[in-house]
Formats: sequence, C-alpha cells, structure tokens
Amino acid sequence: MSTPTLEKHSDALDAAESGASHLITVTLRIRRFNSEVSDEANWIDYQLDIDPKERVLDALHKVKWEIDGTLTFRRSCAHGICGSDAMRINGRNRLACKTLIKDINPEKPITVEPIKGLTVLKDLVVDMDPFFQAYRDVMPFLITKGNEPTRERLQSPEDRERFDDTTKCILCAACTSSCPVFWNDGQYFGPAAIVNAHRFIFDSRDEGGEQRLEILNDKDGVWRCRTTFNCTDACPRGIEVTKAIQEVKRALITRRF
Amino acid sequence: MSSTDSVELSASSAAFSPDNPAPVIEPPRARTKRTPRVTRTNFELYGWLFMRLSGIVLVVLVLGHLLIQLVLDGGVTKVGFAFVAGRWASPFWQGWDLIMLWLAMLHGGNGLRTVINDYAERANTRFWLKTLLFTATAFTILLGTLVIFTFDPNIR
Amino acid sequence: MQIHKYDTVIVGAGGAGMRAAIESTKRSRTAVLTKLYPTRSHTGAAQGGMAAALANVEEDNWEWHTFDTIKGGDYLVDQDAAEILAKEAIDAVLDLEKMGLPFNRTPQGTIDQRRFGGHTRNHGEAAVRRSCYASDRTGHMILQTLYQNCVKEGVEFFNEFYVLDLLLAEVDGVQKTAGVVAYELATGEIHVFQAKAVIFASGGTGKFFKVTSNAHTLTGDGQAVAYRRGLPLEDMEFFQFHPTGIWRMGILLTEGARGEGGILRNKDGERFMEKYAPVMKDLASRDVVSRAIYTEIREGRGCGPEGDHVYLDLTHLPPEQLDAKLPDITEFARTYLGIEPYTDPIPIQPTAHYAMGGIPTNVEGEVLSDNTTVVPGLYAAGEVACVSVHGANRLGTNSLLDINVFGRRAGIAAAEYSATTDYVQLPEDPASVVVAQVEGLRNSTGKERVSEIRNALQECMDKNVMVFRTEQTIKEAVEEIAHLRERYKNVSVQDKGKRFNTDLLEAIELGNLLDLAEVMAISALARKESRGGHYREDYPNRDDINFMRHTMAYREVGADGTESIRLDYKPVVQTRYQPMERKY
Repeated sequence: MSTPTLEKHSDALDAAESGASHLITVTLRIRRFNSEVSDEANWIDYQLDIDPKERVLDALHKVKWEIDGTLTFRRSCAHGICGSDAMRINGRNRLACKTLIKDINPEKPITVEPIKGLTVLKDLVVDMDPFFQAYRDVMPFLITKGNEPTRERLQSPEDRERFDDTTKCILCAACTSSCPVFWNDGQYFGPAAIVNAHRFIFDSRDEGGEQRLEILNDKDGVWRCRTTFNCTDACPRGIEVTKAIQEVKRALITRRF
Repeated sequence: MSSTDSVELSASSAAFSPDNPAPVIEPPRARTKRTPRVTRTNFELYGWLFMRLSGIVLVVLVLGHLLIQLVLDGGVTKVGFAFVAGRWASPFWQGWDLIMLWLAMLHGGNGLRTVINDYAERANTRFWLKTLLFTATAFTILLGTLVIFTFDPNIR
Repeated sequence: MQIHKYDTVIVGAGGAGMRAAIESTKRSRTAVLTKLYPTRSHTGAAQGGMAAALANVEEDNWEWHTFDTIKGGDYLVDQDAAEILAKEAIDAVLDLEKMGLPFNRTPQGTIDQRRFGGHTRNHGEAAVRRSCYASDRTGHMILQTLYQNCVKEGVEFFNEFYVLDLLLAEVDGVQKTAGVVAYELATGEIHVFQAKAVIFASGGTGKFFKVTSNAHTLTGDGQAVAYRRGLPLEDMEFFQFHPTGIWRMGILLTEGARGEGGILRNKDGERFMEKYAPVMKDLASRDVVSRAIYTEIREGRGCGPEGDHVYLDLTHLPPEQLDAKLPDITEFARTYLGIEPYTDPIPIQPTAHYAMGGIPTNVEGEVLSDNTTVVPGLYAAGEVACVSVHGANRLGTNSLLDINVFGRRAGIAAAEYSATTDYVQLPEDPASVVVAQVEGLRNSTGKERVSEIRNALQECMDKNVMVFRTEQTIKEAVEEIAHLRERYKNVSVQDKGKRFNTDLLEAIELGNLLDLAEVMAISALARKESRGGHYREDYPNRDDINFMRHTMAYREVGADGTESIRLDYKPVVQTRYQPMERKY
C-alpha cells in the first residue's frame, strides 16, 4: 500500500500530536449574577492553569468543578453541534466549546458574559423562550398542498444546494444576540428566525413561502436589518446570515414588483 | 478560591435569598406569545426601497447642487439673493430644488424614524420622539415648498 | 409541589422522544419533559446517515439489511425486531423526507445513499450504498426536522425539567404506570406528572467513560430511574466504541468519512484494516475496527510520540468532495487539532459511543419487568431502550433508524393505550423519594466533590472496561466502583440555591452514572465470552452454547438495606438466521 502522507509530516500535525501539555495561567473574568444573592451582576476573576489547546468551556468547567460550584452555564455536546453554550467571550458571541484558549489571547483576562438582549436568569444562563418564540412565529416547517406522494418528493441536487447554508443552523442564538437592533428591541424577529424562514422559503418542495414572506414583511421583520454583519461574524456554523436576510428582502421585493 | 475582586455583599443585597430572590435582569421589549401583531401592509418594504432609491437620486441632486453653489462661476462668493432669484426664475431649477427638498427631508426623516425605533426603549419615548420628528419634517417640507412656489424676486 | 395531569408523558426530547411526541400528540394529550431544550439533544451529533434499503443507487432490499443488522450484532439481536427495523426503515426515511428533511440528492432527484460500515450486498458480498444522508449532519437535520414538526403539531414541551423518579402503583396485583416526578431546573420546584402512559426516551449513558463522543448530559437518567424502581436493565455490558474519535477528545468523526473513501493507517502508513477484514476493510463493523486499532497500538504501530493513536487519512480525497460531503468533520479537525485534513491525516482513537443495552422492551416499545411481563403504560425507545435490534454491536446508521422506527411505534402504542385506560391512583406522597434525594444532596455536609468522583469513575472505566476486558480488569472496576459509591454517600454540592442549580444536578447525574457503571461491570464480569462490543481477552471466542442470551440485571435490596445486583438471562429471538462465524 502506498504511504503518501506520512513522510511529510506537517508542523501543524506534529503540534497536534505532541501530547505534552504545558499549562499556562489564564485569568477568566466572568460576569456573574445570582438573584438569590444580589440584584446586580458583578465581574469576578478566576485564575487557573490550563493547556492553551483546551476550550473556554473546559476552563469554565475547571472553575465550576474545582473552584466555585455555583458557577452556572448551559452546555451539552461540547463540540459545537447542540448550541447550548453561546456566550459573549472577549466581547464577541461565540460557542465556548468551539473557542480554544490559545485563539483568544490568553495573556489578557478573558471576559465571559451572557449573550445580550435576553433576560439573564443566572450567571451565563439566559431566558431562551423569546428567541424560540420568534423561531416558532416564522412557521419553521415544511408546508405542502395536495396529496402526499408515495415515495419521496423529488428535488434536484441544485435545488437542494440552494438552501444548504441555512440548514446548518443550530439555534444557539449567537447571531440574534449579536444584533444591535435586537439588543434594544427584542420584538425584532432576529437573524436566527429569518435564517430558518429562509431555509424553507428557498426549499423547492415548500409551498408556504408566501405566508412566511408575509410574516417577515412585518414592521419587526426583515426590514429592521441594518446589515451590520454582526450575525455573520458571530455564527459558529459559518452561515452567511446577513446574505440570507438580504435574499429574503430581495424575495419580498421581487414578489411585489 | 482565587477570586481577586469578589464583591462584598452590601446591606441591601444581603436581603436576597433563595426564597426571596432579586428581580432578574431583563432586556427592553422582550418578545412574547402575543408579539406577532401581524401588520398586513407593505409600509416597511416601501420605506426600505424608498431609502435606497431616494439615496441614489439624492447623490445626483445634492452633488449637483453643491457643484453649482460652491464651485462653478466663482464659487460660494457669487451666492446672493440675485443668484437665487435668477435660478428660481427657471422651472427646471425650481423642480430640482423641490425634489431635493422632499427627498432629503423624507429620507432623513425616515432614517431618524428607524433610529428612534432601534434605540428608544420605551413605547412612550418612541411615540413622542416620532411625533416630534413628524412635526418637524412636515413643517420643513411645507415651508420649503411654499417658499419655492411663492418666491417673489421683487420682494424689495 | 405542583401536580399535572396528562394522558401521555414523554421523557426526553431527542430523536426518539420527538418522533414519539409527533404521533402521540395527534392521539392524546401529551407532555414532553426534557432536561435540555429539545434541539440540544445528542441526536444532533449523529453525522453519517440513516440506513434504509431504498435501492435508490444500487440493488438492495430490506432482507439484506436485516441480515447485516443481525450479523453486525453478533447474533445477539432479536431477529423479529431486526426484521421490523429493516422493513419499516424505508417508510421511516420517506416519512422524514415528507416532514421536510433535506437529504442529499441523486442526479435524478431521489434521496442519495452512501456506503457505511457493515452494510453489505447479498449477505456480505460487498459494501452497499444504503445510508441516506444529509451531508455529515444527518442527525442534526433529523433533530431539527422533528422539532420543526413538533412546532407544527403544537407539542407541549416542558424544557429543563429533569425527571428523577418513575411512579408505579400496584393495581390488582399488577404494577402499572402512574406518572413521573420531575425537578424544574429554573425554579428548583418539584412537579408530579400524573400520566396513563409514560415513554422513556432519555438517551444514552456514555459519560461514565472519559474518552467519549457523548455529550456531558448523557448520564443514563432514564435507565437509572427505571432500575431503581426494580425494572431490569438488559445487555448493559455491550457498549460500542466508535473507531474514529478525535484523539484524546473523543469527538466523533463519522464512519461516513470511511464510506467516502477515507483510510485508517498506522505509523508505517500501512492500511492495516486489510489484515483484519479482507473484504470490508475500513468498513467492517465498529467493534472489529476498534479492536484492530487497539491491536495496532498495543503492538507498537501506533502514531505520535506516545504511539497511542492511528490516523484517519482523507488526504487522497479531492477537497471538493470533503467540502461537499464531510464539511463538519473537516471543520472539527481544523478547530480542535489545528490541522488541515486536505493535506494532513487526522489523529484518531476509539471513543465510547453507544449503549446497546438499556431498558428492555418488546417491539411495541412496551417495557418489560422480567423476561416476558409487560409493565402496563410504560414504554421506552431510542438509546435508553434495548429492543434488542443492536444485539452485541450496533451497525452505523442503525441508531437514527432505531429512534425513528421505535420512537414512532412507542408514540402510537402509548397514545392508544392511554386512550383506553384510566388514570392509576398516585401513590401517597408521590414526590417523597425525590424530595429526600434533592434535599439530602443540597443539605449534605460531606467532604467529597462530584467532579473528583466522576473523574475517578471515568479513569477507571477507560482503563478497565473499554475495548479489551479481562476478568482481572473488570474485577478491578467492580471494586473501584463500589469504593466510589461509598464515597458518593458523602458527596456535597456548593450551590445551595434553588434557581438553575446545575451543581446539584451534576451530583444526581453522577449517582446515575455510578449505578449504571456497576451494572455494566457486573454484567460484563459474568459474560465469559467475546461477542460484538464485549471482548474478553481471557475468553476470546463467542460461546453460543452458554451465552447466546441477553443479560437481565435487577437491583435487589436486602432486608438490611444492602443493595446488590441479581443477574438473570433472557433467550434471544431467532427466526431465520442461524449464528455463523462473523467475518468481514
């Protein structure tokens, strides 16, 4: 068998394989709030030794498991698929499990705070209900008319590709809670809801696009987008969120004229 | 425990407990089940389109206006009553300035309206700011239109 | 304490729970209790696909699929259940498509299919394209599609409600389901849900291993609750180790990577799977590949400075193919390892992945209280259950199938049952067990920390009951777990509050993990043979004479309060396939 790859070991692979972990000391500055103790949120610093190749989530776990068990945050899969741990790290919305310590300048204190625009319930936990309410309000399900076919509905690979980007959404709220419009007005549908509407509006099998466009034509719909691109920057799945919103706007305009 | 600046509980905050929690930190205007009051108009769509289209037209109108006023024929020193009177003698320039006035005011007014919508948190504040904005815009547009059409070069 | 009344209560909102909820909401008043928001469930981490003999790209039929499932499970599969699984797979995939799932498509516009480990043409001749997929995020798309349809059907969710107890009541000498008790994370309140039917769909228990593809929240809550109420756990010794987890982190890299042509190599660059599985090579079943990897490592052909992993080589595949078919896992390699899969092989090691065992059920999803007796009103589906369609080793793509086929069946069966029956009287003071448990932990002044015990448990499980097991290692594990269970009695939590007390929750979860780890080790100790995911170095062969049977583990409490585990066995249902030697 040929061995094409193993002769030329790249530096990156060597670095990835070096098991030796050299710990560095980082300061984690966490915005904490516990309504059972105080009515205001405070920044608290924690110092810990950690391998810079570890995730911010690992650092938070280290705090919770070794220093202060009352630190509260949501997490589940720990590799960027479940969308539980969106938080504001060094002023930017990210998933704690997809952010490595070494990538965010561990020399300075790493700030961690809850995502903005949603009610803070405890520490990094926010009330996600308004977010999911907006999602539900765009009718995020396939709408079809007539009888169901016996086999699958046909769809060409090109038609499937048309909405591929927006099917990646994990509903983590990183985009919506990075949007300056949403910060001040939670009634705005927000990028995530629009992304999920986009996923169906541009699905060739769907026949409810008209209704969804009508919903997003609302005064709190797509027209409130100011194209600041915060959402695209924040998306941990690399979805071109702002582009999706623009495509919905364009669909609304071409429908009217 | 290495918390370096943990905050001492003040007398007032120490009153909170699991059975007597403080209010949570709420953002302005959260979405609720009742939020979607469907607006079946295209006002926002037209508003959005108007901003883009009027913007393009205004680039031509305003740059042309500035060029004539400030650069050509000796620059800004030439501008005086007679200059204005001369220009408004022509329906073309009357039309130019009228369109520029309307588009600029509506464009700016609508822009400010969205700024108010984005940044004013309370419903009351929004309402009064928008009322003020509407009054000011309408007043300026009406006054300007009046002047353009009733301008009398022989007023002296 | 609040009391709610529903016809059907579903515990868990992953694939199986939501599939059941869609059916049961149409037929009965249903509540879904979930400790996470529904879209956070670990179904979303499944990548490769969902098997069904659609025959869209090449000849295939469900009978071959049945055979592969049975052979993959090393003949410990209940064959009647496997037939149902393979037969209903086709409709399960088509149903999902009709619900809106965006499968990848063939040029003709039908659902595209790809190869997957252990799925073969005509009983083992060659690999067959059977896995229906949506890029390398099939599980994500299934989870999203099911949630979307739950929104459409108006399914009632109780998010972040943690079910801590199952209520059974004796009616005319028969144990019947009365409801469940749940802890509301947001407020710390206890809720009693009275229900005619309860479906457990609470997922797996992989978190007792250290290197695992499982989420932090997969702590076997459903299994533990049922077990403590005296119900048996079936085949808990069988745990699947997925061959390709990211080295040391355990993050899953789909078998679809090998289905697309990826190759496993040792430090000499050798395609070592040719030695272990001449026909299927890298696409042999998971237990075979995982053992092969560890054999390579043990014999000194592992990669890296410590020789403790091997490579998954995708470098010969065109970057366009990786981008189109495997975008997520290439992204994982970049994010977590900092390497470029176009040009670098990916360091991998087997990772604890899936519990084949669980709460025993029949093919309707009804839970069994012994080898044959059904508990009226109690159902289970998904990883928490053991039907058993996976036997000793699950085939890749069969779990997404399992949740859809048996989730649907359980949902329908539960709703139909609750339509024909009355509520069972709740026991006196129904929440007493839970209140005692929660308050006991909250007020404990012990000195033990949850994280330390959990770490010790994970280290112990990784060391002793992973891919290779012997009498000695398992005994070590049994002893260590017993010791940890003693320590757990002195565990305390730092967070004494009521709101979002995740500290308390982790302590409860650890208790569940300890119970299940013990069941696993004891079951493994008694099975003196090697079969599927359970490999005993001291008994390297399959022993069909003594062990062609399911393990049933019961919790026994003696008169003096001492707990012990009683093992019993249940025959395997065989229809038309006689056990043969298993070769790939």
